Amino acid sequence: MTLLCSCVAGIGFISGSAKAADDGEFFIIASVQNQVLVNNVPERAPVAGASIKVTTIDGKLIGEALTDEDGLCKIAVPTRDNYLISIDAGSLPDGLTLIDAEKSQVKITQELFTTSTKRVTFFTGDSGVAGATDFERIAQRLSDGVRLGIIIAMCSVGLSLIIGTTGLTNFAHGEMVTFGGLLAFFFNVVLDIPILICGPLVILLGGCLGFFLNWGIFARLTRRGIGLNSQLVVTLGLSLMLINFYLFMFGGRTKQLTSYSKQVNLEIGPIGITPRDLTTAVLGIMILLSVALFLQRSRLGKAIRAVSDNVQLASATGINTQKVIQIVWFAGGALAATGGIFRGLDEQVSFSMGSDLIFLMFAGITLGGLGSAYGALVGGFFIGIFVELAALFVPSELKVAPALLILIVVLIVRPQGIIGKKQRVG
Amino acid sequence: MDWIKIIENTIRACVGVDAIYFAIAALGLNIHFGYTGMLNFGQAAFMACGSYGLGMTAQYFGVGLWWGIPIGIILVIILALIVGIPTLRLRADYLAIVTIATAEIVRLFVRSVKFNNIFGGTEGISNFSRQYRELNPFDPGKTYGVRPFLYTGYSFFTIIIGWVLVGLFSFFVWQLMRSPWGRVIKGIREDEDAVRSLGKNVFSYKMQALIIGGILGMFAGMVLSLDRGSVQPDNYSRMVTFYILTALVLGGLAKVSGSVFGSVLFWFLFVLSDNILREITRDGPLRIGGRTIIQSNQVGAVNYMFVGIGLMLLIVFRPQGLFGNRQEMALDGR
Repeated sequence: MTLLCSCVAGIGFISGSAKAADDGEFFIIASVQNQVLVNNVPERAPVAGASIKVTTIDGKLIGEALTDEDGLCKIAVPTRDNYLISIDAGSLPDGLTLIDAEKSQVKITQELFTTSTKRVTFFTGDSGVAGATDFERIAQRLSDGVRLGIIIAMCSVGLSLIIGTTGLTNFAHGEMVTFGGLLAFFFNVVLDIPILICGPLVILLGGCLGFFLNWGIFARLTRRGIGLNSQLVVTLGLSLMLINFYLFMFGGRTKQLTSYSKQVNLEIGPIGITPRDLTTAVLGIMILLSVALFLQRSRLGKAIRAVSDNVQLASATGINTQKVIQIVWFAGGALAATGGIFRGLDEQVSFSMGSDLIFLMFAGITLGGLGSAYGALVGGFFIGIFVELAALFVPSELKVAPALLILIVVLIVRPQGIIGKKQRVG
Repeated sequence: MDWIKIIENTIRACVGVDAIYFAIAALGLNIHFGYTGMLNFGQAAFMACGSYGLGMTAQYFGVGLWWGIPIGIILVIILALIVGIPTLRLRADYLAIVTIATAEIVRLFVRSVKFNNIFGGTEGISNFSRQYRELNPFDPGKTYGVRPFLYTGYSFFTIIIGWVLVGLFSFFVWQLMRSPWGRVIKGIREDEDAVRSLGKNVFSYKMQALIIGGILGMFAGMVLSLDRGSVQPDNYSRMVTFYILTALVLGGLAKVSGSVFGSVLFWFLFVLSDNILREITRDGPLRIGGRTIIQSNQVGAVNYMFVGIGLMLLIVFRPQGLFGNRQEMALDGR
């Protein structure tokens, strides 16, 4: 819901209406509009009583005004110059917030004064949580958090298992998530194949990417005797290459998958959730449970955990560690691609969608204990919920900051993570 | 294709401000990476400390520009403690994870609306450099230098100051690494436990190295923001650290000359390829057999892709870079 709002409207510049004012008189007209989605169609209404301030770039006050019944206010400025126009978010009527909190300030430069007036519009919107009771807000955040947690957990398993089995910290793991999202976009939007059909193919291809990264790069580097820290720098280079490759192929804009993109919220108690999100959440939990079950019960799962625990010991008991490592890369890539598809359905697809998540993944696997698969599941899930709940208290633009706090606190108090065994990690 | 213009741009980039701040930041990163063996992937955050130290003098504290240096140093120390205390006792990759995350969070903080009054939000800060501009003996309206090294008076001044700083810091790092302190640092890189067994406090030495390298990063950020006349939060994304790292590896780790020549060479190659690609795509997208290969707005992405490929190839095939010594190239000390 929030997303739909912010994608249809950020801040718009509407070119100045050529109201004839005598030369030397310049005005800035600020308009504040409230936007609500009624059956997914945005409707706008003027907001009265919002406080608008015009300052110079250095912060010198030029003029202040409150918006009138039409949501407009007019502030005279001395010359055609650069100004900052800001809206006081506290002055908005109860329950209204800016759609994009970052856009509470707009800079206009002198070139933008094509006529003597310059119009600036601020959009407020009901993001679905404002005005709700505390309980409803917490419940809504919790449901968002569970969905984020599922995605983080899914993406982190591979990352953690790769660290466990090879010792390599893969900074390009975020790009493997993006790979899934972008491929899903390619099949779903460009080739117009429903996501349910192309999804499994994307997951398979994601697994292949993981397999080939190991086969083509990291297994060879290990064989050449190149150390883990050097390999870590190689993953940085890989991440840099891939993210720019995505930017080159896909462009810098965020785009939407077409399958299930327009849906109406189901109201389940205090929570508003679309059937799509509910389905992905249930599917996600099923995937996570089957991963856990696979690791716990199957022979291969046991072998993976054994290698992840101690490579030499596992090798001595007759496990083919190279094969396990290949499987871990494949599974990690497949799970990352799955996470990418889910994220693409949940939010939108962009070239940096995976690298935006990598901090949360690292926080998750550190919390769970580097190298532990269960740790990654639990830690990633927890981080997702924590980050969304933290957004109740910190501005949403800073909501990942508390994850860093967890990362640091865990490293000080219990560097082996909540699941990890107490051993020297130094 | 206008080869003369391309060559001129490329040569000019070698001595330009970009090469200067890269060189200073790379010297700092070299202390972490090359000499101590600490994987700091958040050098951009240390640079931001310098830039915002300067910017905050005008935006928040309302004091003279030169207070920016002590403010910056305090910020660097706080940042180094935040990333260092939890990680310096642990395996090397923990520091990598925490620095890369911290650098991103720092960027989110300085560009946030919440702290607009301190850091200036996404617009950054742009009204702090008056005292520096007054020092400039050159006429900002005139052009100085010989072709192709033509600069406005303001850039000319910054470039001279910048290269003097590069020289001073190079000498400083070179002397530092010849000192007993430097030998301990290099010992930590080779074998931490051995140094510990000699009664040295490894944690404390690592922290000192982190702070000193961070302070060099801080000066790099200051040079950058004085040249631009503004502090912009998006100049400190984590990618910047990767580019500086590439420049450092290109020149050679654990070598003072490596940091400087690496930065110069990085910008030589970067601007050369950037200019060639821009010339190719200037009159419309490049097509081969009816398929569009590259458009002008994709040049940046392609170029940075080359940086990533270059970094991988360097680490794999020539980890000592151009000037480094393979024995000293010890990302993996033990």
